[in-house]
Amino acid sequence: MHQQPLVRLTDVTRTYPLGRVNVRALSGVSLDVDGGDFLALAGPSGSGKTTLLNLIGCIDKPDSGRILIDGVDVTAVPLHRLASTRLHTLGFIFQTFNLIPVLTAYENVEYPLLLQHVPAAKRRERVRYWLECVGLGDQALQRPDQLSGGQRQRVAIARAMAGEPKLVLADEPTANLDSVTAAKILDLVEEINARTRCTFIFATHDPALMARARRCVRMHDGALVTEPHLEARAS
Amino acid sequence: MLTKLALRNVFRNRRRSAITLLVIVFGAVGLILFGGYKAITFHGLRESTIRNRLGHLQIYKAGFERAEAKKPLEYGLEDVAQLRRAIQSDKRVRMTTAQITLMGLVSNGDKSETFMATGVEPKEDKAMNAQRLVAGTDLPVNEPDAVIIGRGLAASMHAKPGDYLTLMSTTTSGSLNAIDVRVAGIFMSGVKEYDDRAIKMPLAGAQQLLQTAKVERLLVMLNDTDDTAAVRASLAALFAKNHWALEMKEWSQLATFYHQVVLLYNGIFGFIGMVVFAIVIFSVANTIVMSIFERTREIGTMMAIGTTRASVMRLFLAEGLLIGIIGGVAGLLFGAGISNLINRAHIMLPPPPGYTQGYPLRVMLQPAILVTAFLIAVITSTLSSILPALKASRLKIVDALGHI
Repeated sequence: MHQQPLVRLTDVTRTYPLGRVNVRALSGVSLDVDGGDFLALAGPSGSGKTTLLNLIGCIDKPDSGRILIDGVDVTAVPLHRLASTRLHTLGFIFQTFNLIPVLTAYENVEYPLLLQHVPAAKRRERVRYWLECVGLGDQALQRPDQLSGGQRQRVAIARAMAGEPKLVLADEPTANLDSVTAAKILDLVEEINARTRCTFIFATHDPALMARARRCVRMHDGALVTEPHLEARAS
Repeated sequence: MLTKLALRNVFRNRRRSAITLLVIVFGAVGLILFGGYKAITFHGLRESTIRNRLGHLQIYKAGFERAEAKKPLEYGLEDVAQLRRAIQSDKRVRMTTAQITLMGLVSNGDKSETFMATGVEPKEDKAMNAQRLVAGTDLPVNEPDAVIIGRGLAASMHAKPGDYLTLMSTTTSGSLNAIDVRVAGIFMSGVKEYDDRAIKMPLAGAQQLLQTAKVERLLVMLNDTDDTAAVRASLAALFAKNHWALEMKEWSQLATFYHQVVLLYNGIFGFIGMVVFAIVIFSVANTIVMSIFERTREIGTMMAIGTTRASVMRLFLAEGLLIGIIGGVAGLLFGAGISNLINRAHIMLPPPPGYTQGYPLRVMLQPAILVTAFLIAVITSTLSSILPALKASRLKIVDALGHI
């Protein structure tokens, strides 16, 4: 029996006003993403990857079409009422890491757990666990400006994972990192995906990332071009 | 977490926060200094008005206030000895003293002037310390025809201690009477208009001039001004019990000048308060707006990972509140410190309008003023962060994150 996909986009369109003209960022995109997937959204700049990610991430609204996240139609709900969905179901990893600068690595990871009202003991345990997982057990008390780019992205991954999301969205997570660091980050994410069965969707034009993805969706001018399944590699 | 975040954000841009705090501290110090100055002025003016002039309570014969007496002392008090004994048995009462006020002409043989005289009991009057002698002696206790006269009147009459003057007035029966008096001393009260007309004479002398045994009023001095209302109530009960037809006035009903000064100073204080309010509002709002501008991406991130609008709003309100609290506390410390310095420096101020004497600049640190200054700092700071906080909470996440 085929189970319901974690993410289902049906004929999603998004247009932005740019000066006096409207730019069509997405035109009629339909896509299913299953639980546990490791999906790369590939394509050149301006092809609509980030827009698609924003829509799935419930931080932007489509002009038309429907988006179901974990069976819930999020297109019918105003964005500010989706804070709880973002908090409990989704995790975010940004290109520029986007840690809260006044908080330590530990506190950054702890932040979503505080929003989730996780009890103190459990919170401590989970933050410690994820900082160890990303190899920053010793850097817990450092502030972001005291960490390297790779370390910051590790903190961001720990923050995204600590809330135990079903789906993690990563926008060009390796674009600001050197290739060695980027490879290590990918190893980490791949390992987390394999271990937790948490779904990952990447927007990327990093060939290394595309090569590792179990499934790669190519985008061009706001539409999906091909959808080659890379099941062979996974097996 | 909210407090921790807010506190760290406040100290994030230290220079900007320092400038904002400085503005709040200046405002709070200004309020404390002016409030303290106002308080000591009110207090000093109130106590001197009561203790030197009015007494806490004045007792008259019933009808005194409303009836226009046809003759002097028509509504005078007869036989006050029993009344005084009864009043003075109250421990809150420091003393009582009888007085008569009268007007008439004073002459040195060559020229005449109008005068306003107060017939007083010399011993009690000395205790009230109502005037400062500039020449001669105080009113002697057993010399009914000795007087002391105001400095302006003395100059006009070319009188010096030891000289004789003639006082002329209307008696209680309506006829004219005159007595010769010896100038014992010359005094000044500080109010020029009063010193130009004033005479103080023993009660016995005044009664002799008016040909009466009555007194006009009885002044009641208390140990503590705060007891005024309570003593008034017990005296009213006493009068009712003994069926004494008397009426009373409190100092506050008689102290017109005091009330005018209070009104004026409160107006100025209110105005300064509003200026401080406006400056703090703009300064804190500016700081928070700048902070939000710089932290747009951070706000976007926080909202993307599940922070609600209300939480973002609370965060910036908390920052405003914290700036207010820190600024308020610092303002209190500085305000108290500067007040102490001023009080120790013994700075003399020029005489106020209508006065001939200067007085030392002092600041009274009343808890109410400190609390007010602190609350104004905290409330304005928090209020001014409301709009920016609202703006921050309404940011579009995608825009805030720096995407299209």
